[in-house]
Amino acid sequence: AAMAGAQRAAGVARPLLCRGLGVAAGPPSTRQLREAEEAAPVFQYASKATRRKDRVFVWGFSYSGALGVPSFVRPDVGWKKPRRIQPTPYRLETEEKISSAACGYGFTLLASNTTDITKVWGMGLNKDSQLGFQRSRRDQTKGYEYVLEPSPIPLPLEKPQQTRVLQVSCGRAHSLVLTDSEGVFTMGNNSYGQCGRKVVEDEIYSESHLIHQLKEFDSRVVQVVCGQDHSLFRTKKGAVYACGWGADGQTGLGHYNITSVPTKLHGDIAGVNIIQVSSYGDCCLAVSDEGDVFGWGNSEYLQLASVTETTQVNVPRHLPFKIGKVKEAACGGTGNIVLTEEGNVFVWGYGILGKGPNLIETAVPEMIPPSLFGRSDFSPDIRVAHVRCGLSQFAALTNRGELFVWGKNLRGCLGTGRMEDQYFPWRVTVPGEVVDVACGVDHMVSMVKSFT
Amino acid sequence: LNAAPGRAPRQHVRFLPAPAADGGGAVELVAARVPVLADHPLVRGPRFRRLKIGAGHRLDVKASGVFVLGIGHGNKLLTDLYNCHLTKVYTVGGLFGKATDDFSDTGKLIEKTTFDHITREKLERILAVIQGTNQKALLMYSNIDMKTQEAYELAVKGLIRPMEKSPPIITAVRCLQFALPEFQLEIHCLHETQQYLRKIVHEIGLELKSSAVCTQVRRIRDGVFTLDDALPRTQWNLQSIQEAIQNCQLKVETELEKTLG
Repeated sequence: AAMAGAQRAAGVARPLLCRGLGVAAGPPSTRQLREAEEAAPVFQYASKATRRKDRVFVWGFSYSGALGVPSFVRPDVGWKKPRRIQPTPYRLETEEKISSAACGYGFTLLASNTTDITKVWGMGLNKDSQLGFQRSRRDQTKGYEYVLEPSPIPLPLEKPQQTRVLQVSCGRAHSLVLTDSEGVFTMGNNSYGQCGRKVVEDEIYSESHLIHQLKEFDSRVVQVVCGQDHSLFRTKKGAVYACGWGADGQTGLGHYNITSVPTKLHGDIAGVNIIQVSSYGDCCLAVSDEGDVFGWGNSEYLQLASVTETTQVNVPRHLPFKIGKVKEAACGGTGNIVLTEEGNVFVWGYGILGKGPNLIETAVPEMIPPSLFGRSDFSPDIRVAHVRCGLSQFAALTNRGELFVWGKNLRGCLGTGRMEDQYFPWRVTVPGEVVDVACGVDHMVSMVKSFT
Repeated sequence: LNAAPGRAPRQHVRFLPAPAADGGGAVELVAARVPVLADHPLVRGPRFRRLKIGAGHRLDVKASGVFVLGIGHGNKLLTDLYNCHLTKVYTVGGLFGKATDDFSDTGKLIEKTTFDHITREKLERILAVIQGTNQKALLMYSNIDMKTQEAYELAVKGLIRPMEKSPPIITAVRCLQFALPEFQLEIHCLHETQQYLRKIVHEIGLELKSSAVCTQVRRIRDGVFTLDDALPRTQWNLQSIQEAIQNCQLKVETELEKTLG
């Protein structure tokens, strides 16, 4: 009877349990909404004191371990497949802030300018001890041939807690580490004297503990650059030293023999204050403080054809380009790129130069239109800030922190997500502002600051 | 519209009997131009009984701005303009500190966050990244083979655009005003909806480690039609509409010729 009564009451459209227990809700009024909003808790995800984080992103060919992610080569979970190529930027977790990185031919070096004991990490190919001696955990007497994750490189420093590592550079099978007070450390293959020490006949380079230290220069070394099998050192006084293989004249010392001791270069750069040197293959470029460009080395791909017909130039020659004051230059295997003070980018040489598929080779620098880097009426103050070269790729960084790449997409090294070659500058989507990028043969490493 | 003087009635030649010049009962046939009786207004009735009006790109209830309508023959021009895929420009106003379920300030509140760490510089950085990724999408959806010289030339001039259906793409963003907690952006976009723009505001809030809602979406340009061509509420009368149609005719024709050839 009570149930029937309740049902009848429901038919009269009154609340079922009307015993004064509460009023039906109904849609909230504006005042209720406003009060609820003001009473809601406020979450804080970031404050004024939040600093932007530094990150490292890697992409390209991963089977040599050069990307530093072991799960790409040896998956840690059963269902994962080994990833041969990482086509888009992948975040690499590092313990310290990485200030300098360099990509060699199948290996990578990361360096931080900390005063901790571990300053340099290496990963990738280690068949010539280009990453120092990496003791194997399974057999204490042997070393690793492939290093799959960033492993510390033990440098024989005299004052390990005071010296800072400024810069690292990698070539085909050797690497150079520049410190602020203890000179340059070299390791790896020395069959052409590229490590700056005397060539030993039949020396076995794998699992070698030898790290050579170079200190005898006219002043402090401020930049080290590795070519394929030679090394270049730039000192504070503006002089350039070289050692290593010279059959293409890339040592610039006036002969085509190998040099095993760093020797000063003369030619057109004698007495000139050089502010930047660059090399990656067998051609070298140097920029002076007045904005002139000097080149030497291999010229089979028209890199130096504007001054000479010979294909090997063994003395630095001034390249009289009328493109304005040059700020930065970078050399690739077959193509060169320079950046002028106004922020314009010029390319010359052979290969995919960045001006469409029709421009394959040129001996005279051609400008890449700035609209390809994002400059338009809407954003007229975009400038290219840095240029870098891999073996057959180019990279350009703008002042807004965007990274543009173009060239041959060898094993996904461009990072665009596609496997095709790129004939004009293309943005790489990196979740952050790109501060610096290092290009190798088939992989790239970038140092990125997060947005907020 | 029907009160306006209509077309003059058609004329035709008829042979009408008229008394002969020399008098007497003889009747001659004289050719004369007379209006066709079928064209007489009392026979025909009002000229316009219904008007075909079509709308251009959609504008939803909470947004405002330029809304293009086509009348009669204009509907065909509307389809042609749609195939031109021209960009539209919006001013979007946003507010930091709140997140709601429909991304606008009238929705149900989901979360409140602090926003005092946001600076104009951080916002511009995020906008640069949005532009960058959308630029890539622009090139990818335009269905041109990237390996051709023609693609390079179009990319240099900035003329690559998707000429078919594509997801919403933002071609340019700029911050017009920034006064915490409010900010205003100018967005140039293609194939978008206003709710997508509100979602973008919400995502900007998330990227800046806070939250944002959209307070205002106003279209200030739709292809060739700008705010100056648009008629405000007070001018919704026949005279202004006719003037507006005449003013825009030339612009629309040149644009159609340029894009569709």
